[in-house]
Amino acid sequence: MSDTSIQSAAEASNRVRRKPKKLQLLTTLSGRQTMILGLIGMGAFFGLWEIAHLMTAEEAKRFLPSPISVVQALTALIQEKNFMADVGISAYRIFGSFFIACVIAVPLGILMGCFAPIRALINPVISGARYLPAASFIPLLLVWFGPTDSQKMALLILGVVFFLIALILDNTEAVATELVEAAQTMGASRWEIMVNVVGRAASPAIVDSMRNMIAVAYTYLVIAEIVAAQDGIGAVMMRAGRFLKVDVIMAGILAIGIMGVLTDIVFRAAAYYAFPWNRKRQG
Amino acid sequence: MKLKPEISDKEMITVNGVSKTYLGGKFTAVDNVSLDIIEGEIVAFVGPSGCGKTTVMRMVAGLETPTTGDILVNGHEVQGPGPDRGMIFQAYTSFPWLTSRQNVEYGMKILGIPAAERRERGQKLLEEVHLGPAADKYPSELSGGMKQRVAIARTLAQNPEVLLMDEPFGALDAQVRWEMQEMMVQIMDVEKKTVILVTHDIQEAIYLADRIVFYTRTPGRIKHDVYLDFKKGQRFTSKEDLLSQSGYLEVEKQMFAWMREEIQLQAT
Repeated sequence: MSDTSIQSAAEASNRVRRKPKKLQLLTTLSGRQTMILGLIGMGAFFGLWEIAHLMTAEEAKRFLPSPISVVQALTALIQEKNFMADVGISAYRIFGSFFIACVIAVPLGILMGCFAPIRALINPVISGARYLPAASFIPLLLVWFGPTDSQKMALLILGVVFFLIALILDNTEAVATELVEAAQTMGASRWEIMVNVVGRAASPAIVDSMRNMIAVAYTYLVIAEIVAAQDGIGAVMMRAGRFLKVDVIMAGILAIGIMGVLTDIVFRAAAYYAFPWNRKRQG
Repeated sequence: MKLKPEISDKEMITVNGVSKTYLGGKFTAVDNVSLDIIEGEIVAFVGPSGCGKTTVMRMVAGLETPTTGDILVNGHEVQGPGPDRGMIFQAYTSFPWLTSRQNVEYGMKILGIPAAERRERGQKLLEEVHLGPAADKYPSELSGGMKQRVAIARTLAQNPEVLLMDEPFGALDAQVRWEMQEMMVQIMDVEKKTVILVTHDIQEAIYLADRIVFYTRTPGRIKHDVYLDFKKGQRFTSKEDLLSQSGYLEVEKQMFAWMREEIQLQAT
């Protein structure tokens, strides 16, 4: 009885060994494999889109244009409608507002992470503010700033700054206590420890938080630019919507997507070159 | 084997009736501990886990404050952490964003030592801990033992009067721990520090220390405070030399017996 169960267990393990599973846990891929799989994934997405376009009834086809006509719409926008100026304005709003959000959130998050009284003072407000939908501030911001750039940037700041503070607080608290204590026993001042020990130790995680939160800023861009806006990618998309130009709307979405991917690449590259000591962990 | 350095009569560390309670007095971690440590002595704090030996050391470091009693180091009352008491932790505390050399120079930079002098002393210490070839590597490129050697060199670079070591080799595997212990004996021959070593490794304590302070389980009190007379005032650069001393085995057996008493008390 027990003999057979041992045998069958051995057989079972042999079977597993003969047929290695494709999806093993904790395996890594070469750069080439990762790229090929990524391209297959993208190809499949655009293929499905094209198939869906072909299967749509002829009279409804303009509501689901093919990927190629969206790209054509995008090039036409750039060549004929000076679309790059709108892209530039949107980029200015995103990066300008995100820069201001970082100038507020990085020092505040680190201060809160280092000093319990400051954390206790500010944390309840920050935690609560995260639950407020940024879009609900639009009427207020319109009254305060009018339909200006400031109004749009204020919305983008409100959308990310509270999350950014909370994330940077987490990043700061995750710094090992022993690093702080080691610096204390070496006689380092509080300022020195906050800036050159905790700040330095948390910096890769903080840049990661920024990279994630600028993606959220992009999601607020269209909301900011569909209300009382004449320029920017969102405004172009809103105008196209009024004339049912779906290919132009989708070209706008595509443009935002491309900007987002480029932003992500810039952040990753910056982290790679700014933190050579952290490279191994990034893999 | 070498003679341990001349020990003066100067009291370097004085712990005066120190207690430490937590939870508003409900939990006593350290109960009325008093001891004097002479300049140049290496003293091991040994005892079962949670016996408060680390707490006593952290109070000497100034990272925690005694609930009652006071601690003097070189005649001054301990008010907080400071570079006169260098500390080495069990966790790796070499700063990951600095190379070995920058780590070793960091402590000297805090003290305002000029760059040229930092460079010179840093190089000397890196060689003392056998890290010369790894001077410009980041900790992520180093093994656990090498990271710990960076931390030791960084602490010694500040030339502290007292060296506090909290289970310094506890995270290392047996072979690396052994190498590090022998390296410490060699370093202490050059640097001549007053040392408190917290450890639960009985053999490590007997090998490195001149004197062992054995703590009882919670609340932490001093159970025994003994000089290792069988070493005849010597420190051994190889562990085999220690093991061949007559009297070694008796001491080790005695320590295990004390440890067993404390562990069994806990179980009943």
